Formats: sequence, C-alpha cells, structure tokens
Amino acid sequence: MASDTTHATHPTPLLYVKIAVLLAILTGIEVALFYLEETVGPLVIPFLIVLAFLKFVIVIGYYMHLRYEKPLLSRFFSAGFVLAILVYAVVLGTFGVLAIRAAT
Amino acid sequence: MADVAQAVPAGTHGEHESTGIEHRKLGMWVFLSSEFLFFGAFITTYLLFASRPGLARPYPAEVYDIPFTSVSSFVLLMSSLTMVLAHNAIERNDQSGTRTWLLATAMLGSIFIGGQVFEFTAFVTEYGMKLTTSPAASAFFVLTGFHGLHVLVGVLMLFSLYGMSRRMGGLSPKHHLNVELVGLYWHFVDIIWIVIFTVVYLLSKPPL
Repeated sequence: MASDTTHATHPTPLLYVKIAVLLAILTGIEVALFYLEETVGPLVIPFLIVLAFLKFVIVIGYYMHLRYEKPLLSRFFSAGFVLAILVYAVVLGTFGVLAIRAAT
Repeated sequence: MADVAQAVPAGTHGEHESTGIEHRKLGMWVFLSSEFLFFGAFITTYLLFASRPGLARPYPAEVYDIPFTSVSSFVLLMSSLTMVLAHNAIERNDQSGTRTWLLATAMLGSIFIGGQVFEFTAFVTEYGMKLTTSPAASAFFVLTGFHGLHVLVGVLMLFSLYGMSRRMGGLSPKHHLNVELVGLYWHFVDIIWIVIFTVVYLLSKPPL
C-alpha cells in the first residue's frame, strides 16, 4: 500500500482507481445477494448491511481523505453519524413498541 | 477579539484558527455531519411505512427496477472516482486534468439525475404510484427527491467550478480549497446514496 501513496497524505490516482473497482465489485455482490435471497436466506440482511457499511467507510476514508485528516474532523463527522443512529433507533423502537401494544 | 484580528491579518494563518484546520473546511465537515440527521429523518420515516400493512398500493418495493437503479448507483460511485481525480489534479496544478475530471463528474451526476427523473416518471405513469398515494410512497419520493436535489446542487457547483476554470484559464491556488469542499460534498451525497440503495431499494419489502 505504501507504493500507492505519493506521501503520507496523498493517495495516487492508481489507488483511487483500485478503490473504485473494489466499490463496483461490492455493489455487484450486493445486487447478486438481492437476487439470491431465497438461496442465502435471512443472512442476506446482515450481509447487505455489512457491505453497505464497508462501501460507506471506504468512501469516507479514502475519497474524503478522512483517514489522512486531523482526528478532530473524524470526531465531528462521527458525532453526527452516531447521534443520527441513536435518535432514529429510539424513534423506530418507540413506534415498534406502540405497534405491538396496538396489536395486543 | 479585536486584538486577535489585528495580530492575525485576514488571509494568513488566521484562517486556520487554533484547530489547525481551515475554517471553511471545518464548516463543511460540520455541515455534512448535520446532514446525517437530515437524511436519517427521511430514511426512518420510510422504514416506518415501507412495510406497514393496509396502505394503498402499490408499495414502493413493488415497483422498484433494481437493475436500473443498480446502474444508477454504479454511475454515482464512478462520479466519486472522477471527483477525487479532479481534486488530485488540482493538487498537482494540472489545470487541464482538473477541468476534464470536473466535467466528467458533472456529466455523471447529470446522468444520475436523468435516471431518477426517468424512474419517478415510470412510477407515476406506469404504476400509478404518486406522492400522495400512501405515506410509504410519500416517504420514498421525499427521501429520494431530496437526495436528487442534493445531487443537482452538486452538479451546479461542479459546472460553476468548470466555468470558472475555463474563464480564468485555470484555477488559482486560492481556489484549490473550493474544489476540495465541492468534492467533500459530492462524496457525502454518494455515501448517502450507498445507504439509500441498500436500505430503501435492496432491503425493504412490501407487506404480504
């Protein structure tokens, strides 16, 4: 990987292209899993979530250069992401509980 | 504060503040961070209604054209590659390369928007799924529509940078940060689509 960076903070165009190929492959696997759902079974859901998270992290880390930036930016950025996950998990949980109560 | 302003003239190290990060860059990252909450609200709303029984049909998951949307996703992913190559080119002061990659990114973004317009038109005319059909349809159109609006804003910024570069014969070093900021915004739009494609298109199912 060291040869793919011009110096500590700047990946080369070749590395960017390799990452794009990887992202395309991951997207292809996602679509294939969608069509193979009956074969793979309920594991499709965690697989798809993991693949999306991988693509998400790769784009942020390499294309947005967050892995080469100061940690302060990572903290700001991840704070918004974590806050959103927590807030909306509570919302979904609350509506889920309300739906169960309404059904019983 | 006045002492600070006098001690650090505008346009020098004062722009970096005590964090060591350019103000506009820090502002962009904070803005993008807040966008997680913006899109999170719409994704959550979609999840609440996407599989709820008893709503008017069709449900969004009944009308998706996954092969078509997969190609759109691929186009948007590749636009992230061209955007990062534009950023790389401007860092090397390669003005011609910067213009080429900025234009390529704007064109790929335009293709994505065109695909979304085509998809929305097909949903309305072929399947009768409109904004007002059901809460699930509303949530789908509002979520993907706002994402498309973000892409459109990105395309306009890209064409602006391209036009500036053409008019001025190249982007000066003081414009390098502009390319980086537009790039950050563009990649963020891409990662939001990564989430939407998986959660909304691939994982959601209509009720039995």
